[in-house]
Amino acid sequence: MRARVFFLILAIAGVAIAEDSEIRIGAVLPLTGKESKIGGAYKTATELAVKEVNDAGGLQVGRKKMKVDLRLLDDTSDAAKSAQLVEQLIVQQKAHAVIGGYGSQLVQAESVVPERYGIPFISGGAGASSIYGRSKWVFGVLSPVEDLAKTQMEFLTDLVNRRKLKAPLKIVLLKENTEHGKDFETGVLNFVKTHPKQFSVVLDESFELYTPDFKPLLMRVQNAKGDIFMCDAHLEDYIAMQRTYTQMGLYHQMVTYGARGADEAARKGLGAATDYIFASGWWSNLLPYPQVKAFNAKWQAATGSAPQWYHAAAYETVRALFAAIQKAGSLNPDAIRNGLAKLELKDSILPGGVLKFSKTGEATLPFVVTQNKAGGKLDLVWPKAAMTGDPVAPIPR
Amino acid sequence: MQQLISVVLNSLLAAGLYATMAYGLAVIYGVMRIINLAHAGLMMLGAYVTLTLFSRFSIDPFVALIIVGPLFFLFGVLLYGAVGKRIVRSGATPSMESLLLLFGVWLVLQNLAYVIWTGDTQSILTSYTMKSVEIAGVRVGVPSLLVFLASAASLIFLHVLLKSTYLGKAIRAVTQNRDAALLSGVNADRISATAFGLGTAFAGIAGGMLSTLMAFTPDFGRSFLLKAFCIIVLGGMESITGVAIGALVLAALENGLAAYTSIPTSFQDAVSFALFFVALVAFPQGVPSLVTRFQRRAIIR
Repeated sequence: MRARVFFLILAIAGVAIAEDSEIRIGAVLPLTGKESKIGGAYKTATELAVKEVNDAGGLQVGRKKMKVDLRLLDDTSDAAKSAQLVEQLIVQQKAHAVIGGYGSQLVQAESVVPERYGIPFISGGAGASSIYGRSKWVFGVLSPVEDLAKTQMEFLTDLVNRRKLKAPLKIVLLKENTEHGKDFETGVLNFVKTHPKQFSVVLDESFELYTPDFKPLLMRVQNAKGDIFMCDAHLEDYIAMQRTYTQMGLYHQMVTYGARGADEAARKGLGAATDYIFASGWWSNLLPYPQVKAFNAKWQAATGSAPQWYHAAAYETVRALFAAIQKAGSLNPDAIRNGLAKLELKDSILPGGVLKFSKTGEATLPFVVTQNKAGGKLDLVWPKAAMTGDPVAPIPR
Repeated sequence: MQQLISVVLNSLLAAGLYATMAYGLAVIYGVMRIINLAHAGLMMLGAYVTLTLFSRFSIDPFVALIIVGPLFFLFGVLLYGAVGKRIVRSGATPSMESLLLLFGVWLVLQNLAYVIWTGDTQSILTSYTMKSVEIAGVRVGVPSLLVFLASAASLIFLHVLLKSTYLGKAIRAVTQNRDAALLSGVNADRISATAFGLGTAFAGIAGGMLSTLMAFTPDFGRSFLLKAFCIIVLGGMESITGVAIGALVLAALENGLAAYTSIPTSFQDAVSFALFFVALVAFPQGVPSLVTRFQRRAIIR
């Protein structure tokens, strides 16, 4: 009897040892469906980061070097399926941690699952504030959209201080009717409240995604007679709205579409009408850090193209998780979660160079501002220390 | 005064766009009594075919419509043979099967587009995309103007076809009473196939026109489908002129509210659906029936 118990214990221990011989990382990404373009980019970057670690012999966890087993699933850009797959990764595939997808709507659905099972979850593709702070297990590498708007306002304030723009400035504020849009609005309004002498909002309107006709809205913009045009829009609406804006002959001293501006698809669809539009982003390959230059070269060698912000965000998401696992020294979910909460990734390629998370689990990184110039040129115009060209303000008529 | 001119012009231009989106839906509903849920998918496909003709063969998007129309007509006839025919046999009124079947067609088209063209955002930039002309002091985008002209031409074409040709008379006969048309020797099945082809052709043309105004992905068309429903209900479901009137009413309401009230423009869709609801309850035969009702009352008095 004793021998049986001994062998049983040995067998269970053996299973446990076998289970922990590798790190099982689950990932749910939109590889097909409407978010498939960026979802596919996240997949490439995630796999590259995992390959680097495995090629180097694995990750140091305590005294052991362990290889990473990435289990990547496609949610077909469907929020309900996305949450279901996170559950599947945790329950059936026994993932030690889960990497979330791209798009606030999808990540919002996913983010309720980790709390149920007490498994660390980190996303590199959702900036909506409402996702964070509800569960201690949820972390995000994208800084909040509110901060994106705040950075744009700081950039405009700097232009006023440098006498490129003349205060007081009247802002027309448009935003898509989504969490993203609402966060953008909050960021602008909060800043304006604290800078009443420099800025005022003369129009604050929202619009539905994929609006067929922007003329009624832009007629209001025309009548509002603002100085600065600030809009938060998806790529499709950005292209449609900027076309109507140009056809109507509207003019503002500065124009932004939030995070949109330098997109290749927009340049293709708008041509010179994108010139001088400024945009905020979570990353730019123009950042002058040595680690960014090294990443650019590595990415170019691996894929044959220049990295975009979403590649960098996905890559850093994986690196942050691995750093937390190493810091934890074990695969215990609590230890990994605490590793993420206390993380300070000092050689980060993201703006500011140090990746860490706030109490709500959101990254606290600064944003960059880029401005499209004539002839398809793009300059990094904010932060000042990383500028690759002087901002053009006001936009030439 | 300038604002009024602007509202009138913008309403007319938007009505052209909206009517084009709804013609195909109205033709198919009129003849077959089915709500073509695949309409949005066909519009999306029209946009991609126009893009392909533009990017591969440098054919101007508005010239490409001459190819897109017949191509989609043929596609529609084939689709009728494969799908539409079965729907008609399942009953004379819109059935759950017809909705599910056509919804399935939409999903198939959408996923085919993802495979062929990927999920990347696409758009068409021509030499005149950003150009505008001034009409009565109001700047009007050249593509919007061309869409309006193409829409007006579509309306004239459909009007002539339905009123002055044997095919048109047969379509109208099937629309009014399928059984009576059959008894009169009209080949209702062939007429249905033609109508489905026509509806599909107009959906493709609408997609082609929309591709000159906005960016698109395989997900394109969903929001336009809801607007198109609203328009055909306003227009009286079966009348092509009614569709044009319905489109004008909706466009005028949207532009007028934006210009003369402080109602947020994000309520545009809410306005559309409120109108949809009112139309269904108060005048289910559409705006033209309302006009007729008023005319009759005036005569009685």
